[in-house]
Amino acid sequence: MEGECHFLEGNIRAKKRVNYTKGLLAEVKIEPERLKMFNMGASDAKEFAHAADEMTKIAKEFGPSPLKKIKNRKRPAIRRIQ
Amino acid sequence: MIIAERKTFDEIKQIVGDAHKILIVGCGTCVAVCMAGGEKEVGILASLLRLDAKREGRELEIIETTVERQCDKEYLEPLAKKVSDADVVVSLACGAGVQFLAEMYDTKRVLPGLNTRFIGVAEHEGMWTQRCMACSDCILGETGGICPVTICPKGLLNGPCGGTNEGKCEVDNEKDCAWTLIYRRLEKTGGLNNIKKLFPPKRYDVQTKPGKVIHPAYEKGEGKAHE
Repeated sequence: MEGECHFLEGNIRAKKRVNYTKGLLAEVKIEPERLKMFNMGASDAKEFAHAADEMTKIAKEFGPSPLKKIKNRKRPAIRRIQ
Repeated sequence: MIIAERKTFDEIKQIVGDAHKILIVGCGTCVAVCMAGGEKEVGILASLLRLDAKREGRELEIIETTVERQCDKEYLEPLAKKVSDADVVVSLACGAGVQFLAEMYDTKRVLPGLNTRFIGVAEHEGMWTQRCMACSDCILGETGGICPVTICPKGLLNGPCGGTNEGKCEVDNEKDCAWTLIYRRLEKTGGLNNIKKLFPPKRYDVQTKPGKVIHPAYEKGEGKAHE
């Protein structure tokens, strides 16, 4: 939980950095909501699953990444290793 | 040290224009310490420009480099090839560094990526405050090491104005009154007699721009230093 990091105030620092990074994303017109920080313990499997569901929902609401929208380039062919 | 802040991304994007190859030059001294123009910030700006170009479907090549100092020619000389290959150069140095880089490579567009703010100190992690106006006429020896020219918004030299209020400034009540700070410091250091000293009007004649300093040992002409 926030403030109860194994590295003492590590997750509070991380929160500030994540918020800063959200600001950077907003500057280049990428929805900052695509990035979110969750606090949970190493064994909180349920919380992790909920967080993953929430982020999936958010990603679906926003649609594909704006970096992928403009795509005239062909994908490089995948080479199969014989 | 010199404190600076990055310009907004929109402003940088606007001044860079439609350049296809951008060289971003960081400065590893003051602006690296205040987290505005060091190697890490060069990387962040480069990433932002790349993401933005990708979002808009533009081709963009960015070269990142950081030198020890942009205010010394010896560190700028090795950049010649990189500068020559780029359409524009964005300097993440203070105003002095940007100008020196532009002067050295005067056929290339050199653009500022930062706004230079002031000479200051690190109060704590991530916070810097102004401490010096570079006024060329230092009186810190008389004022307990606290600069009224900088800390007092009115730059008063002879005690506080009528707006001092329980140690706070009338211009901004979050800020301390410089002359209250000076009084307390002089009281602590046994120099309260200094408070009675009257300072003559500030010598603005020594602040003529642009400033120039020549160390006596480096003056041209034999024996000049001893004259």
